[in-house]
Amino acid sequence: MAGAGNRVLAGADRALDLLRSLPRLSLGNLKSNPKAFQQSKRGRGRYGGNKHGAGNKGSGQRQNFMRLGYETGNNPFYLRVPKEPYYKGHHLRREYPPISLLQLQTLIDTGRLDTSKPVDLVALCNTKIFLLSPIEKQFGFQLTDEGLDKFKGKVNIEVQHASEQVIAAIERNGGVITTAFYDPPSLLAMRDPIKFFASGIPIPKRQMPPEDAIEYYTDPKNRGYLADPDLIALERFKLAQKYGYELPDLKKDPELAMLLERKDPRQIFFGLSPGWVINMKDKKIFEPDDEKLQEYYKS
Amino acid sequence: MAVKIINKTVTDFSLRVTRCFFVPTKTIHSNVALFQDNLDTSLTSIEVNRSPLPIISSRKLAFPPKFKVPRQVWVSNMDTVEEEKLGLIDLHPEVFADRPRMDIIHENVRWQQLYRHVSYAHTKMRYEVRGGGRKPRPQKGSGRSRHGSIRSPIWVGGGIVHGPRSPTSYFYMLGFNARLNGLRSTLSAKLAQDDLQVVDSLDIPTDDPKYLETLIEERGWGPSVLFVDDNDIMPLNITAASDGFGHFNLMPVYGLNVYSMLKHSTLVLTLAAVERIEERILFHLNRNDAAQAASKYRLDNF
Repeated sequence: MAGAGNRVLAGADRALDLLRSLPRLSLGNLKSNPKAFQQSKRGRGRYGGNKHGAGNKGSGQRQNFMRLGYETGNNPFYLRVPKEPYYKGHHLRREYPPISLLQLQTLIDTGRLDTSKPVDLVALCNTKIFLLSPIEKQFGFQLTDEGLDKFKGKVNIEVQHASEQVIAAIERNGGVITTAFYDPPSLLAMRDPIKFFASGIPIPKRQMPPEDAIEYYTDPKNRGYLADPDLIALERFKLAQKYGYELPDLKKDPELAMLLERKDPRQIFFGLSPGWVINMKDKKIFEPDDEKLQEYYKS
Repeated sequence: MAVKIINKTVTDFSLRVTRCFFVPTKTIHSNVALFQDNLDTSLTSIEVNRSPLPIISSRKLAFPPKFKVPRQVWVSNMDTVEEEKLGLIDLHPEVFADRPRMDIIHENVRWQQLYRHVSYAHTKMRYEVRGGGRKPRPQKGSGRSRHGSIRSPIWVGGGIVHGPRSPTSYFYMLGFNARLNGLRSTLSAKLAQDDLQVVDSLDIPTDDPKYLETLIEERGWGPSVLFVDDNDIMPLNITAASDGFGHFNLMPVYGLNVYSMLKHSTLVLTLAAVERIEERILFHLNRNDAAQAASKYRLDNF
């Protein structure tokens, strides 16, 4: 044990050293922090003899409130300012919570993300750093350009939205980026796969993007998952020319197989097809036998 | 026995004396064991065949600490009354040399005493007290105060307002991290006060209660001892030997708790128990879904 000796003790070591010369810690000599378990006093009557939450004096206590927005004769705020409908149609809009390149690099450096495998929404959710809430209209993650110059990782990443600079930053390092759409039932399965498998529901079939998102995901400039692969190759070259970096040759890459891996437009988990039921307890996979089901789930 | 006294270092001995100043029970037990001549020789002269010492010399720590120094502790044996040191092992400082937070230990003990406590104290409200339905006297004309019932709370023998009502549950759940840190703090405090011993296993050669009693007295393990093993099926000999004593108790690792550690003066861990305790606590300290584990307690959480 740490005796005082010549060393200067600090922090926990000092506290432990002090304990050695004190009586044995037991149930009889424990003490809480002062006032940690103070009892509140019981007032007389309902609501503890207080003012029932209405404050002291005035219109608040007497509860003769003015109508909402009324400013005792002034031109009220809600009429004074012209309409600025920033949030018009918010209940229909899709939200993509941001993950910056700096955060992505930190995840890689701290070993929370394995870049020897493709990184998708499941991998990002499994870091337990980001919470995705499809019920709040969150449709996946967007990759933002913060920490763009510091990003050194070579990844095959799939996100739901990415800007041109971010795509350039990933491709400059020899990585591959895809933007892909997932419908809310798929997202619910992906945000916590173990919980989803335990529910016994077959893996859903990924739906096609809604009308207003088709243009984004079929555009090779956005590296959309529905874009023509040949056009994507062309756009990769064009982007390298625009930002002035040399595009690493993927064909010479030892990790080529991993970099080329991508999902079917109807698939939501790597290596698992829609329609399958996963039993984690017995480590078994059940595939549909019925022809109608096979027809429904096929890509 | 005499040889053993000489072997003890001066600091070790003087430390015992200082601590005895505060804890008188400790002095009786250690000194009686060292000097008494009435030890049963049949118990102390058990021959044990063992490979050359040290048997245990090192231990690999999971999540090696970056800034803290591992604590070292002797591993002793249980198969002879006299202590033999089988080796020296490292203990993880995050588990066994954490800051001993008295307030967290207190929180844990308070919680353990309260969560299963149900108060049956009971008083009657005015409608539960017998009688009192009739107006005791007319409202006017008597020259006395106005009353509607003889069981009103302002009457002697009337109902009680805001009195204790039975049953009152005192159940609450302590936060996950407070429970985790309570274990770390208590284990650290126990080790710092030399009240934590590590043994290779709980195997003793006989089921004689006298053997266990002598062993504990000889080693100065204090009046009460808690033996903790990884498995909940304990060796038969120690089970039989400790059965008659209320103050020598056996416990599996999954039952280890702050209250029991403090209730017993000495905590004896087997090597397997040390491994298991360290593994579980380090897992919880390093798990990546710690936020979820520490979330609000729900009864259907499992």
